[in-house]
Amino acid sequence: MGAKIVFIKDTAVNQDTTQDFYVHFSNILRENALEGKVQVVRVADIGIYGQGLVVKFPEENIIYANVQEKDLKNIVDKTVRDGQVIKELLYQPEPKQLRIVLRNCGEIDPENIDEYIAKDGYRALAKAINDYQPEQVIEELKKSGLRGRGGAGFPTWLKWKLTRETPEAQKYVICNADEGDPGAYMDRGVLEGDPHSVIEGLILAGYAIGASKGYFYVRAEYPLAVERIEKALKQAYDCGFLGKNIFGSSFSFEVDIRLGAGAFVCGEETALIASIEGRRGTPRPRPPYPSVKGLWGKPTAINNVETLANIPPIILKGGAWYASIGTEKSKGTKVFALTGKVKNSGLVEVPMGITLREIVFDIGGGMFSGKGLKAIQTGGPSGGVIPKEYLDTPVDYENLQKLGSIMGSGGMIVMDEDDCMVDIAKFYLGFCVDESCGKCVPCRIGGYQMLNLLNKITESRGELTDLDSLKRIAVAMQKASLCALGQTAANPVVSTIRYFEEEYKDHIVNKKCRSHKCKHLLNYNVIQEKCKRCRVCVINCPVNAIEGDKEKGFFVDPKTCVRCGKCYEVCKFNAIFKE
Amino acid sequence: MGKLTPKDLERIKTAHADDGKDWIKVGMSTCGIAAGADKVYALFVEEIKKRNLNIQVKKCGCQGMCYSEPSVEVRVKGLPDVIYGKVDKEGVIKILDKHVCGNALVKDSIYELRTKR
Repeated sequence: MGAKIVFIKDTAVNQDTTQDFYVHFSNILRENALEGKVQVVRVADIGIYGQGLVVKFPEENIIYANVQEKDLKNIVDKTVRDGQVIKELLYQPEPKQLRIVLRNCGEIDPENIDEYIAKDGYRALAKAINDYQPEQVIEELKKSGLRGRGGAGFPTWLKWKLTRETPEAQKYVICNADEGDPGAYMDRGVLEGDPHSVIEGLILAGYAIGASKGYFYVRAEYPLAVERIEKALKQAYDCGFLGKNIFGSSFSFEVDIRLGAGAFVCGEETALIASIEGRRGTPRPRPPYPSVKGLWGKPTAINNVETLANIPPIILKGGAWYASIGTEKSKGTKVFALTGKVKNSGLVEVPMGITLREIVFDIGGGMFSGKGLKAIQTGGPSGGVIPKEYLDTPVDYENLQKLGSIMGSGGMIVMDEDDCMVDIAKFYLGFCVDESCGKCVPCRIGGYQMLNLLNKITESRGELTDLDSLKRIAVAMQKASLCALGQTAANPVVSTIRYFEEEYKDHIVNKKCRSHKCKHLLNYNVIQEKCKRCRVCVINCPVNAIEGDKEKGFFVDPKTCVRCGKCYEVCKFNAIFKE
Repeated sequence: MGKLTPKDLERIKTAHADDGKDWIKVGMSTCGIAAGADKVYALFVEEIKKRNLNIQVKKCGCQGMCYSEPSVEVRVKGLPDVIYGKVDKEGVIKILDKHVCGNALVKDSIYELRTKR
C-alpha cells in the first residue's frame, strides 16, 4: 500500500491560494511526522466551484469544502490518521452529469469494435432481433418518451410508426450527421468517440420500420468522423451486424455514407434527401413528409446522430428506465456543447430539467473572463438568447420555447457583458443569409433586408422605425418561409429585441454600443492626463488619424479614424479611451 | 472475423473484462488532435519503448473536457484513475517518470478524477 492520497484545490472564484495551502498542509504533516505517508496533490480542477478550499480523499471519496487553515490540524488528526469523517466540513455534491449518449466516449477505442462489444455493444440489436417484433421496438421507444435530438423534438416512436405504417416494399432510414450550427459539435464528438453506438441505433431503426437500407449523411468538414464511420461500418459488416440475415434472422440491412458538401440547409430533411438523390440541396414543401414520401419517393425515417445513439441503451434497459430520467414532457438526457465565455468549455450530458445555472456554474465552472454573465444562446441560428434573469429555468423543450429560444441540436454559447446583443443577432442572421438556398422569397429577401437594417443600426444610421420593420419582416419570414431555416432565421433577432430592446435603442438613439463591439459607434481619444507623449499610438495608427505634437499633446481625429483599436492596444499607459 | 452470434458477444465481453493491467488513454478526437494529441500519443509510444515499460497506450474519443485538451487518462495499480489535462511534451515525461514509475501523481495538471463506475 502506497501513501495515502489527498487532493487539494482552492475553488474560490477570484483567487487561487492552492500553493500557500499546500505549503501549510505539508508543514502540518511534517509536524505530525506523517510526511512520506501522505501524498498531497495540487490538482488543476477538482470539479467543484466557488466552495473555497477543497480537500478530497479520492480513495474514500470524502470531500471537505470551505476548509480554513485552522481546520487542517483536525483533518490530519482525524481523517488522515484514523480515517474518520468530520461531518461539519463534509461536502457532498450531487453528480450533475449523466452519460447515456456519451457513455463510451473517452472510454473506448472508437476504431476497435471489440471494445464497443465489451461495453454491451450490439447486444440491444441481438435482443431486438431475437426477442422483439419490430412493433415492440417502437412500443419500447414510445414508453421511453424519446424525442428527436436534432432540434424540433418530434417523438421518435411516432416518426418510426408513421414510416412503418406507410404501405411500400422499400423503405429507408437516414442518420442526419450534417451538424452545422455555429458552436455545436455534439454529433462530431459521438461519431468520433463512439461510432458503433450510432450504427447500432441506425440498424435498430431499420429493423423497426422495415427498411433494408440506411444512409449516413455526414458533412465533409468532419473528415475524422467520416474515417471512423467508414472503419466502423467495415467492422460491422465483417462481424455480421450489417449485411444479409443479421443474427441468423430474415432481416438484412446495408448502410452507405453520403458526404454533404457544406450547405447548412442540407440538415433540413427534405433538402438532405435531395442532396442524397444527387440533386441540388433545396427543401420542398411538406407534406408529404419523408415518412410517406422520402428518399427516391419511398418512406424514409431521418434521425439525428444523438437520437440514434440513445436507441441501444433504451432497448437494452427498457423504455421505462429511460422515461424515469428527465421531466414530464422531455425524457432522458441531452448533450450540450458548452462554449463561449465559460471556464470549462466542452461536451456535457445532463438529464432534462437541470437548470442553466447548474450547467454554466456547477459543470462549466463559471465565467472565463471574470465578468458577469449576460445571456446564454441556445439552438444556434434557429434559436435565441436567454438572459441571465432566466438562469434558473429547468431546461426542456417546452421551457426553452417559452423563452423564445429552442433546444436545437445542443449548442450553448455563454455570453458576458462584453458581448453586444445587436452584434450577436447580426452574426446569426448573417449566417442564415449566407446559407439561405434562395428558393423561397421570404427567406432570401427577408433575411437580406433584416441584415441591412441591423447593419444600419450598428453603423450609427439606425432609426426607431427600424425596430418595427425588423419585427414585421420577422413575422413574414416565420409565417411564409418554405423550411425551418427561413422560419427560424429571424429568431435570434426577435429574441434579442424581446430581452434587450434597450440595447437596440441605445444603438439607435444614443449612438452608443455599451459593450464596445460595434466599431462604428465607438470613439477613440487620448486621455491627456495619462498620456506620456511617447508617440507609440501615432506610429501605430494605420491611417495617421492621431495628430498633435509633444508640446500640445495628441488627439484622435474622428473623421480620419477607422476605429481599428490599434492605439488602444498598443498604449502601455492606458491613455486611450473608447466609448 | 466472421459472423458473430449473441454468444460471441458474451465471449468478447468476458475476454475484455478488466485484466488489472496498466494503461494510458489519449483522447484522439478532433478537439484533442487540434491541441496536439497525436504528438502526445507518439511521444508516449516512443518513450515507453525507450524505457521498456510495461504499460499500454490506447486511443479513445473525446472525454468532453475540450478546454483541457490534450487530455490523457492514466491507470496505474495502486493509484486512483485520473485525467491529466493540457499535456505537452514535458507533461508526458512527468507522467511517465512520476505517475507510472514513481507511484506519485503529477501536481497541478489533474483535471478530473474518474469515479469508479
